[in-house]
Amino acid sequence: MSNSNIDIVKVLETKLKGKSFQIQPGKLGTVAVQAIPDSHREVLKVMLAADEKTGVIAITGIDLGATIGVYYHIRTSNAFVTIQSEVPKENPKIATITDLMPGAAFHELEVSDLLGVVFEGNPRSGHVVLPDTWPEGIFPLRKDVKASEVKLNPPSTTDARFSGDKGLVKIVIGPHHPALLEPEKFAVMVDGETVKSVEPRIGYVHRGIEKAAESKTYLQNVYLVERICGICNACHATCFVEAVEKILKTEVPPRAKYLRTIILELNRLHSHLLTLGHAGLEIGYETLFQYFWRDREPIMDLTELVTGNRVISSAITVGGVRRDLKETDIPKIKATLSDLRKKVPFYKQMYENEPTLRMRMQKVGTLARQDALKLCVVGPVARGSGVDIDVRKDEPYEAYGEIPFKEIVHTAGDTWARMNVRMDEVEESINIIEYAIDNMPTGAYRVKVPRVVPAGEAVNRVEAPRGELLHYVKSNGTAYPERVKVRTPTFANIPAFLKTAIGESIADVPPNFVSLDPCFSCTDR
Amino acid sequence: MIDYLWLIFRVLVFPGFTFLLFFTMFCDWIERKVEARMQNRMGPSFTGPRGLFQPLADFIKLLTKEEITPTESKKNFFRFAPILALSVLVFALCFLPIDGTSVIPNVSFGGDLIFVMALVSVANFMLFLAGWSSANPYSSIGAARVLTQFLGYDIPLLMLALAPAFLAGSLTLATIVSSQWVPFAVLAPWAFVLFIITMQAELEKDPFDVPHAESEVVAGHETEYSGGKLAFLKLARDVQIVFGASLITVLFLGGANGPVFFGFPEFWGTLWFVLKVLVIIVISEYITVLFARLRIDQVVKANWRIVLPLSVLSLILTISLAVWIYPLV
Repeated sequence: MSNSNIDIVKVLETKLKGKSFQIQPGKLGTVAVQAIPDSHREVLKVMLAADEKTGVIAITGIDLGATIGVYYHIRTSNAFVTIQSEVPKENPKIATITDLMPGAAFHELEVSDLLGVVFEGNPRSGHVVLPDTWPEGIFPLRKDVKASEVKLNPPSTTDARFSGDKGLVKIVIGPHHPALLEPEKFAVMVDGETVKSVEPRIGYVHRGIEKAAESKTYLQNVYLVERICGICNACHATCFVEAVEKILKTEVPPRAKYLRTIILELNRLHSHLLTLGHAGLEIGYETLFQYFWRDREPIMDLTELVTGNRVISSAITVGGVRRDLKETDIPKIKATLSDLRKKVPFYKQMYENEPTLRMRMQKVGTLARQDALKLCVVGPVARGSGVDIDVRKDEPYEAYGEIPFKEIVHTAGDTWARMNVRMDEVEESINIIEYAIDNMPTGAYRVKVPRVVPAGEAVNRVEAPRGELLHYVKSNGTAYPERVKVRTPTFANIPAFLKTAIGESIADVPPNFVSLDPCFSCTDR
Repeated sequence: MIDYLWLIFRVLVFPGFTFLLFFTMFCDWIERKVEARMQNRMGPSFTGPRGLFQPLADFIKLLTKEEITPTESKKNFFRFAPILALSVLVFALCFLPIDGTSVIPNVSFGGDLIFVMALVSVANFMLFLAGWSSANPYSSIGAARVLTQFLGYDIPLLMLALAPAFLAGSLTLATIVSSQWVPFAVLAPWAFVLFIITMQAELEKDPFDVPHAESEVVAGHETEYSGGKLAFLKLARDVQIVFGASLITVLFLGGANGPVFFGFPEFWGTLWFVLKVLVIIVISEYITVLFARLRIDQVVKANWRIVLPLSVLSLILTISLAVWIYPLV
């Protein structure tokens, strides 16, 4: 929702006048600002002063040969800005922005991990995605790294299971734990039942997809990025192909846009139903879980009907979609959706009225609006805290500009609010799909595109079920991309959990955590 | 001689150990089936007719698995806690008049109700020891929760158990049963309902199953257990549930009382007892399925702020209404 009329380009041009900034409207989002190292903070300060909804979405590190590029992707309430900075490769140091924007801590660490850029002043240190046994001084995303040079250190044998601090018990949640469906570690220090601190360690399922993407063609990469996450696979594919289409300057036929929208919303539907049920499991409400997952099945069947595949849809490709919707399938889709629509009120009143469920979810993991903005959280987590950001509204892609739908915002900021955002979005998704089917344009569903992509770069955002997803693609004029950067929503939302878990009961950790809808295969890539 | 053989038969076969073992597994099957059907699932379906033998198969499977004892654990407690918990519970069950008389004939004595309740606390304490001796953070938290919970809920449980004792004018289980020509559940429904809820907490079932909250503390006090020890720990838990339901049956539903049509009265007594226990188990499973798990602080608050005052009120109510109830007993 563009509720503010701030013209960020004008603001930047007036405030930064006469200084050595190069402002290029239309590049990498609304505007790209070239800044020499450490002056990027000045740009950020200007933006923060102008717009409270300024937030760092991602930091892209890129090997530019002699230098390493550090690109800050920043959203404002109605625009999307990239601050481009470069640091020399021999001495890659740049000042941190975590004091201005605490949510950037993990983004900075990731760039340090993968490209060796030192962010001076970042309070966190250590590996984020790479294993602890990774050798020092080798940074996998630099172009001069050879796989044969990587010799892993022997794993450390010391296991600090009990803390030195008397009275505090270290509870390790993960990498294997019933509350987590995927491997990731959260060391929780508890005093009795109260959480004192949470130390995250992600990266257990880091597969190096960003690096792998550099050695595959654009078409192959569509299928590679889909496999970043099984649940929001279509979002990754769409986000990537849109970025490529931006570089290619291809206009996708309208029918393809509508078809993509349907696939994306089916993705959102089954992802939301999954989380709403999974939350039940985390608070010991198995019945809720079983009911939601029963009703999620028909959506999976619909995905198969529309795309040909049940989970990884592989339907989206550069230039459109790979298969058309059959007229004969439409009644079945509508019947399934109206079935689900009939069940939504039941679940809604379940979430609203069930006393034990409310006791476990209300006032748990409360994230105030101000913190949500500072920590740069995205998606339902932000919308549950009253921050109205939704890429589908802010920067409509595909057919979202033409389809009427409500942006769901709840203001309580607790676990319950986040789940209710998802509950309401289920209903909106059904509306969107039905509208898209009824108003589907005719014509081609795909255009042919060249395999070789001209040199250029593009950054693209998509509202995945878990929040804003960002892909940055740089092409060097061949059939292989120079750099693919993926910032997934869970990666941006983890700081919210680290903040809200402290001071609450250990029993509140699982429901609080699941309300982020964490996806670690996304997070680690 | 024949007396001794009869005693041994009663203790080991019917209505003693073997019967209780298979009855426990049957109840486990009923629970799983009810829970599954309420959640739109099938439940156990393959082992035996409609999966009837699944609990037995699970038990035997666990017995065949490797047993691991953590080096840091307190070995003796770790080894014997599950066995002791199971034995104490089975021993407590022996005092309940299952087929009209208690399993060991003529052990009934004045105040055995209190004794049986004490045995349950001992069994719970064994579960706590099982977790405490494991040297595992999840186990210690689970164990601490077991302790917190049963210490709190034992008080209202005992108070509510006094209602039938008061109505029967005796602390002897046999007398309580024999005076229930009209079940106490009908005469004092308030105590009956509260007793079921408190028992739910005592048995650590939803919404009070915090010690087993797998999303927080993995398996609670069971985390480090494997193989045969786990099998006995799980069996102890199932026996505990059967014991809880049996106690409710004895105190409020008239135990083995019921019409005798033909043949042995023991047969009919056992049948009525089993059916009543099953009713209680199904009710308890319904409660389990319908609610989410509370947090430990909410469980403790619910006890001290709601259940305890209500049970005091219930006792007062029972005493003040006793004048009208006595003629019905």
